[in-house]
Amino acid sequence: MADSSTPAVQIEGLTKVFRLPLRKEKVVAIDNLSLQVGAGEVYGLIGPNGSGKSTTMKVLLGLISPNAGRASIFGLDSGDTASRGSVGFLPENPYFYKYLTGSETLAFYGKLCGLSRKEIRSRSDELLEMVDLTGARNRRLGGYSKGMLQRIGLAQALVGDPRLVVLDEPTAGVDPSGSRKIRDLVLELKRRGITVILSSHLLEQVQEVCDEVGIIFNGRLVREGKLNDLVAIEDQTEIVLQNATPQLLDGIAGLVEREDCAQLLSCGHPRTTLERLFLQEINEESKTGGQDT
Amino acid sequence: MDSEAYSTELSRQHKAFSPSRVWAIAGNTFTQLVRMKVFYFLLIFSALIIGANLLFLSFTFEQELKILKDVSFGAMSLFASIFAIVGTALLIPKDMEDRTLYTILTKPVPRFEYLLGKLMGILLLIGVSILLMSLLFFTVLYIRQHGILAEKIASLPRHASETDIESFRESIFSRGLQPELLLGVIAVFLKAAVAAGVALFVSTFASSTLFTIIVSLVVYFIGHAQSLALDYYFTQGELHSAGQRFLAGLVGVVFPNFQLFNVTDGLTAGEVIPASLMARLVGLTAFYLTIYSLVSWMVFAKKEL
Ligand SMILES: Nc1ncnc2c1ncn2[C@@H]1O[C@H](COP(=O)(O)OP(=O)(O)OP(=O)(O)O)[C@@H](O)[C@H]1O
Ligand SMILES: [Mg+2]
Repeated sequence: MADSSTPAVQIEGLTKVFRLPLRKEKVVAIDNLSLQVGAGEVYGLIGPNGSGKSTTMKVLLGLISPNAGRASIFGLDSGDTASRGSVGFLPENPYFYKYLTGSETLAFYGKLCGLSRKEIRSRSDELLEMVDLTGARNRRLGGYSKGMLQRIGLAQALVGDPRLVVLDEPTAGVDPSGSRKIRDLVLELKRRGITVILSSHLLEQVQEVCDEVGIIFNGRLVREGKLNDLVAIEDQTEIVLQNATPQLLDGIAGLVEREDCAQLLSCGHPRTTLERLFLQEINEESKTGGQDT
Repeated sequence: MDSEAYSTELSRQHKAFSPSRVWAIAGNTFTQLVRMKVFYFLLIFSALIIGANLLFLSFTFEQELKILKDVSFGAMSLFASIFAIVGTALLIPKDMEDRTLYTILTKPVPRFEYLLGKLMGILLLIGVSILLMSLLFFTVLYIRQHGILAEKIASLPRHASETDIESFRESIFSRGLQPELLLGVIAVFLKAAVAAGVALFVSTFASSTLFTIIVSLVVYFIGHAQSLALDYYFTQGELHSAGQRFLAGLVGVVFPNFQLFNVTDGLTAGEVIPASLMARLVGLTAFYLTIYSLVSWMVFAKKEL
């Protein structure tokens, strides 16, 4: 077993070119991409559609082989099946066997991870509870909604008790409260010391959960770093006051004016986001009404 | 909690080959096919053999029993081979298309185990369906042979001796439920298993259900005629050069000689199937399945998913 100093993920000079069959055209999906994710970190891969996020993940998981460069997981090369021993993966728009029920699905993937019958039982109870599918565990996946499929996919990724979890757009198609739950889950994984790589178009969420982000564009990593360093605006300070009188605000504005170097940029009521408002409403509804599933 | 952490730590030791993973995939394949309600075909099968039986009631009992056996074996072989080809073609390309394969291969599952598991699942399905069909077939045969005997006894004059009845029983039952029929059942299974191997190989590069079915069926039909073609080719030209032999071998591998497996025609006509032929069929099946699994793996191992 690799020691704690081995990075969870190491990608060096990775290049992937897709040749379109029967045509001369080539698509450079990843272009000399290098990145490293330390054990226990939450890494966010963001970028526009078609920038190569999913392709990078597929190479990392050995589903496709790179044209150049290498990728490894906890020191084991991605081409080696053993590297998948401690990984959980949720593909984008996951699709499972629709003839299986929720718990049968987890049992199947549990067996593939080499879990015993007893481990499978306790693990699936725990995971179904975690992704809120206990009520639907005996229903076939053919009848699951998109959000439910996404959540069973998440449970499937975690069934083998992985040390690295790769999530490709885990919140796609999930409603705001569900996606909030997925965010909490990622934070919980992080608390347990599990490394997470995720891609998402919901930048607000990425900002909330990730320690480190990589911005990928046209297959190249254009910006990478600790999230705090990337988003902090060093020369600005925010003050939020409650029940401030107009006189107090005038006073503060006056104080700032007297300083030569500082400037008051904005003053007003902070806005809640639409997402927060929606969640608040939903939460109140579910408290007064029945439970949400 | 501690003990659990310990045990999962243990289970993380990656095994290069794990029968339990193969079995999990095989079981899953079988469940999936069963839940697609494939076993409804048994109704068609029963209707077919009972219908054939009713249609030929007016024939002599020898003819009636032979037709019952011919129709049953024919239907069994047809259904088993269709299951082998369509089942394989339906599931493997679908896994690729739906990208369900991503979730399987990103578990510590070597690609070879996936193929093997699928093949085993299909063989399990063929085995179980042949078993159920034989049970139906044998039951009908049993009922008919006793029915025919009862009719014979009823039509005999009152003073017929025990020995007369005994000789009737002998001649009817010898054309009825005999242990040799099991050899025919085994041959039907072996043939379908080879067809499944063909479909497995085709589906690894085809990645479309329709294409897999069509190509496999073409191979299946050519396989029935290949010995004829080879015989013709080699008795025409006198030369038995190394090149020709190589070509014949190649044709033999690409198009398995399915005709060889059709022992049931001789069987229902009362011929004896020598043990050596059965041994040869088993050996051939093992050979084809090994070859097809290996080349499937060679294609699939490098496949971009
Ligand atoms: N199998 C393939 N064959 C040909 N081109 C491909 C293949 N897979 C991906 N590509 C191309 O590679 C590029 C990167 O695709 P990728 O799916 O990695 O993007 P992405 O960042 O995940 O986008 P999205 O945000 O839409 O999920 C795209 O231009 C895509 O068309
Ligand atoms: Mg993508």
